[in-house]
Amino acid sequence: MTMNGETKENLMNLFEKFLNSEQAEQSVEDIQKGERILRKSAAPEPDDELIANIKSGIAASLLRKKENAFREIVYKTAAIAAGFIILAVISVKLFEVQPEKTVSSSIIPKAVWESECLADDDADSATLVADIEQIESDLLTLQSNENGGNGEAVTELEMELTEINSDFWKG
Amino acid sequence: MAKNDDLARIISGCKSGDAESFSELVDIYASRLYGYFYRLTGNRETSDDLLSELFVKLVGKIRSFKGGSFEGWLFKIASNIFYDYLRDKQQQKKLFDAQKNQFESEEVTHTKESGSERIDELQIQLGRLDTDTRELIMLRFYSQASFKEIAAMRSEPIGTTLSKLHRGLKKLRELMEQK
Repeated sequence: MTMNGETKENLMNLFEKFLNSEQAEQSVEDIQKGERILRKSAAPEPDDELIANIKSGIAASLLRKKENAFREIVYKTAAIAAGFIILAVISVKLFEVQPEKTVSSSIIPKAVWESECLADDDADSATLVADIEQIESDLLTLQSNENGGNGEAVTELEMELTEINSDFWKG
Repeated sequence: MAKNDDLARIISGCKSGDAESFSELVDIYASRLYGYFYRLTGNRETSDDLLSELFVKLVGKIRSFKGGSFEGWLFKIASNIFYDYLRDKQQQKKLFDAQKNQFESEEVTHTKESGSERIDELQIQLGRLDTDTRELIMLRFYSQASFKEIAAMRSEPIGTTLSKLHRGLKKLRELMEQK
């Protein structure tokens, strides 16, 4: 092995920047002698097995890096895709043309509205129907007793009718 | 040594994740880097580990090489790995305080234990230098970088680098001649 630096740079010039000519010359000589000692005693070489292991280790490491890079791309793509999907869903929700909701509060309950027989499904109506039947019955009684009837019965009936009427509208 | 064009092609291949280019890089630099680690640690197993660690790190770091001296960049990583190793193993104190005996005792131990690993005289005498000087000498020798590059790597003035290297090599020569 040779010192590449010796060719790259002039040691003498380098030392002369800090030392006088004689000292510089001596220093260069010291360095060259020291380096000769190093060259004479070569260090051991790495085993072939070690080199082979290092190379296979590098190949495995490169493979891992490639796999990681691929995985990273997949994750990034999935994340971006998920982002787009979320954005799209939010956009659809935001800009969706929704039909105007008509909020109506009906006086008539739904059960009553959809009923086939009001008298069965609505308690108030059932009472009313019963009352009407009672009145009809009373009227029939009155008509049948037209000649022999008195004014009190009519007044009583009128009062009952008024009461029913007011109860009905009170609910 | 690879020519600049070849090296540029290899580095470009490495940056693209080409295993073959990395393989070429290992072929070019493994020997020098191994020598660097071995001369600093005096231990083959540790050098094996540090060399493996360096190339594994290189796979992750190669894209951060933005040009300039590749050797300088590579050996800067090697130097960091070496100092990390010292810190991790809490051997810095041991290396600084007990260097004089360390390699001599290691020589005996290694010879007795394995017989296959013989610490040479240079390794023993290198062990008598302080870690910083030893690292500087090895950095200069194995990276083949210029003093200017080494001074930049170590973040110190070029005069300091020159002076330290000169003193270190002179001391090493004296130690080798005293043996």
